[in-house]
Amino acid sequence: MGRPPRPPRPPRQRPPAKPPTVLRLGNPRRRLHIGLIAMTFVLSILAGRLVQLQGLDSKVYEAHAAEQRVQPERLPARRGAITDVSGHELAVTVEAREVSVDPALISAEKRTEVAATLARELGSPPAQIVAKLARTNTRYQLIAKDVDPVVAEAVLKHDFRGVSTKPQYRRVYPGNDLAGSLVGFVGFEGRGLAGLEGVYDKMLAGQDGEQSIEIGSKGQRIPMTRDTSRAPVPGRDVRLTIDRDIQWAAQQAIASQVKATGARSGSVIIMDVQNAQILGMANAPELDLNNWEKTPGEDRGNRAVAEVFEPGSTNKVITAAAALEAGTVRPETVFQVKDNIQCADRVLRDSHPHPPERLTFAGVVATSSNVGTIMAAEKVGDQKLYEKLRAFGFGAKPGAGLPGEEAGLLPDWKTWSGSQSCTVAYGQGVSVTALQMASVYQTIANGGVRVTPQIIAGISGEQGKKIVPSKPGKQTRVVSERTADEIAGMLEAAVGEDGTGNLASIPGYRVAGKTGTAMRYDEKCQGYCGYTATFVGFTPADKPRLIALAVLQDPKKGHYGGQIAAPVFKDVMMFALKSRKIPPTGTTPPPVRIRAGG
Amino acid sequence: MTAADRALAVRRESLARRLAGSSSAVWRMDGVLLVAVAALCVIGTLLVWSSTRTWAPGATGLVKKHVLNVAIGAALCSTAAMVDHRWLRAYAPVVYLVTMLGLILVITPVGSTVNGSHSWILLGGGFAVQPSEFAKVGLVLLPAMLMAQPAEGTDRPRGLDVFFVLVATGIAVGLVMLQPDLGTAMVLGVIAAGAMMIAGVRKRWIAVLALLVAAGGVAVWFLDLLEPYQVARFTAFLRPSTDPRGVGYNSTQALNAIGSGEVFGKGLFGGGQTTGRFVPEQHTDFIFTVVGEEFGFVGSVTVVTLLSVVLLRGVRIAWQCEDRFGSLVAGTIVCWLAFQTFVNIGMTVGIMPITGLPLPFVSYGGTATFANLVAIGLLQAIHIRERQH
Repeated sequence: MGRPPRPPRPPRQRPPAKPPTVLRLGNPRRRLHIGLIAMTFVLSILAGRLVQLQGLDSKVYEAHAAEQRVQPERLPARRGAITDVSGHELAVTVEAREVSVDPALISAEKRTEVAATLARELGSPPAQIVAKLARTNTRYQLIAKDVDPVVAEAVLKHDFRGVSTKPQYRRVYPGNDLAGSLVGFVGFEGRGLAGLEGVYDKMLAGQDGEQSIEIGSKGQRIPMTRDTSRAPVPGRDVRLTIDRDIQWAAQQAIASQVKATGARSGSVIIMDVQNAQILGMANAPELDLNNWEKTPGEDRGNRAVAEVFEPGSTNKVITAAAALEAGTVRPETVFQVKDNIQCADRVLRDSHPHPPERLTFAGVVATSSNVGTIMAAEKVGDQKLYEKLRAFGFGAKPGAGLPGEEAGLLPDWKTWSGSQSCTVAYGQGVSVTALQMASVYQTIANGGVRVTPQIIAGISGEQGKKIVPSKPGKQTRVVSERTADEIAGMLEAAVGEDGTGNLASIPGYRVAGKTGTAMRYDEKCQGYCGYTATFVGFTPADKPRLIALAVLQDPKKGHYGGQIAAPVFKDVMMFALKSRKIPPTGTTPPPVRIRAGG
Repeated sequence: MTAADRALAVRRESLARRLAGSSSAVWRMDGVLLVAVAALCVIGTLLVWSSTRTWAPGATGLVKKHVLNVAIGAALCSTAAMVDHRWLRAYAPVVYLVTMLGLILVITPVGSTVNGSHSWILLGGGFAVQPSEFAKVGLVLLPAMLMAQPAEGTDRPRGLDVFFVLVATGIAVGLVMLQPDLGTAMVLGVIAAGAMMIAGVRKRWIAVLALLVAAGGVAVWFLDLLEPYQVARFTAFLRPSTDPRGVGYNSTQALNAIGSGEVFGKGLFGGGQTTGRFVPEQHTDFIFTVVGEEFGFVGSVTVVTLLSVVLLRGVRIAWQCEDRFGSLVAGTIVCWLAFQTFVNIGMTVGIMPITGLPLPFVSYGGTATFANLVAIGLLQAIHIRERQH
């Protein structure tokens, strides 16, 4: 149906009595015209203003609007776990809730009831909560942090207006001080501050997400269809090479020996020979991670990699290796050894006075004769000795990627004083860390091939929780296999009945090792005060699987490595052998001649 | 037979039906005006829905009421369109008197105060009327009637008629000021002034009147007759930043909402400022902020354009009307709607002080919707009768 045809406009008939049309209607029409112009003017002003508001300046207004409406909310990422080699958690993040109130939303008559209920559910003093609820001029009062989600749900069940909970994460260390200084801890803001927590912080932390919530003028949440959230990326899990059980045994052993000897501190390292993976790294005193803020700063670090000390006789294997490699000495080469030797301006002595004796070179190492070692070193020369020390990793960080790793002190051979070239041979005038020394014995035990020590077994991939294993440590040949075997033989003799490390022997197993008793440089007394007692060795001597090192700093009851460090080695090694189910080789050690014509 | 003859025949054949039913008049309505008003009502309903949707329980109550209001308004509009405006001319004094009676009722105990303004008569069941809106209709008709007959030999109204117009306006404005409702009083003044201008009252008389009004305004200002909030609104308009949390709050929030819309808007129900209810009175006086935020520049301009179309069609109807009364009524209605449109949008976009005036056809509010649609009905009636010559 269309519009009916427009009727033809009838001719206008003007009543003759009235004034002419032009005069009668002209005026209103003219004034309507003026009105039309005025309207167009106002309309153009409005249009212009809209162009300004919604076009030119819109960003400013939108920003103002967003500022009062949009509240960004952080969605915390769950921090990855640090586990031992078989996945036992050493550091783990658990979910917790934060309970807070908006006092303005709680009416005065409900306050007592709310406070009583919160106090009962959360187990906190009611008076404190009442005081917080009374702060009605605030919109936020924190009632409790780290609340168990189950408890938080129970609080929410009461359905109180103004009471809310927010998810948060809490870092817990199930083992307390297990591998404490190695693992490290996170601060109150959830950032890693020390240890592996610090070094691998970025990887462990993941990436926080973000969510924008919009709040209306009455404080109500504005339901928005648009999705403005960015999901958090959970942190990655870090799996260590540490074996929880061996770690625990090592900690027990070193802690009790530090206590028994009145030592200032002590460390133990257990390593796998083939891949140089660190199975245990214990320090005493150890750091309780759930109470780290109560531990003095000096005890928070990982001494096994950070504490630098003069190694003493354990260093003699390097002198021996240099001498054997240079071809100037054989294990059976005989030395006429007095109990002292003139070296530049100093007279250097063996640890015990003895009449001059004829010792084989193997005997020199086994009985740990300083004088005999100096005689061998003189045949090698400073430069060759220095180069060998470097090749074994002295003066460089071991490269395990452990926080606080130190490089030790190895002065260039050209700057060695006259007596220093003698003392370096038996491990004084040069400093190392426990890990560096353990690495030297790993090299010997591994047939002369040094493998970079490893602490990280693997890290979970970005997607999923599957652990991606670390690449094997870098392999470097330091000495020939023959040299390594010959030194291993000498070290086995050192644990034998005539050696200094007999307390380290384990029934049924062939043990190779070396004692070290060094004068300890102490900053407090500006010189040598006290001792560093060390024992480092590997088992089985003929088919090495495990290396262990025990070091005690400044012991008061006893100070010989063979006397106080060797038993720690024995305890830890015995446990590790059992734990790893390493059988004895069942072979008998070849006879080693220690004394010539004796 | 020519086309015109055929048409004439059709007209004759359907004469009886044409007289019996109203459908014939429907076809002679101003279609453009009808469509523009209908579009504004639909947009208004969406905006009322969007701006009241998040109100706590029963959120759809207001939009349902708004739809009912528009439906009643449409019925009133059709009724008004059916009335012969020459008949209205005879009854204009009666309409005026009835609306004045309504205003008097408001100031008796029958009236009620809603939102600080004593402008309401509650009818029960959640319904209420605002007689001052109908007073606008009364004040459109009476001056037009009085000034429709020019003085002998001129095209200007007689002095006595103008005097009566001033008295009638004075009574209406005075009653509204007793509520007090400054905005409506201003609209009434504009209606009377517009009628006089169009009727051809001498410019110097108008100038004198304008001076008197200005003097009165100054007197009111200095005699402290205005309510403090009215003074504050004016100062806030001049310096909106002085008090963004207080009186300037409305204006600041309105600008934030409109500016947020940018070119295409956030989409219906997508406006954060609207959903968060930052702009007070966003479903009534500040409804233009909702179109600004949710439909952007495009939507704002559409609404302004539709309102302009309404006003221009009104001017056209006034222009085309051969009858002086009809022309005056149409012209005065345009003045009324134009003033309300400009002042409302002007205050919303921050170029005019805040006065409580709704946006015609768009804002929520029953009586205002009725009055506006009755006015459109009158425009259509004038248009229809003019075609019947």
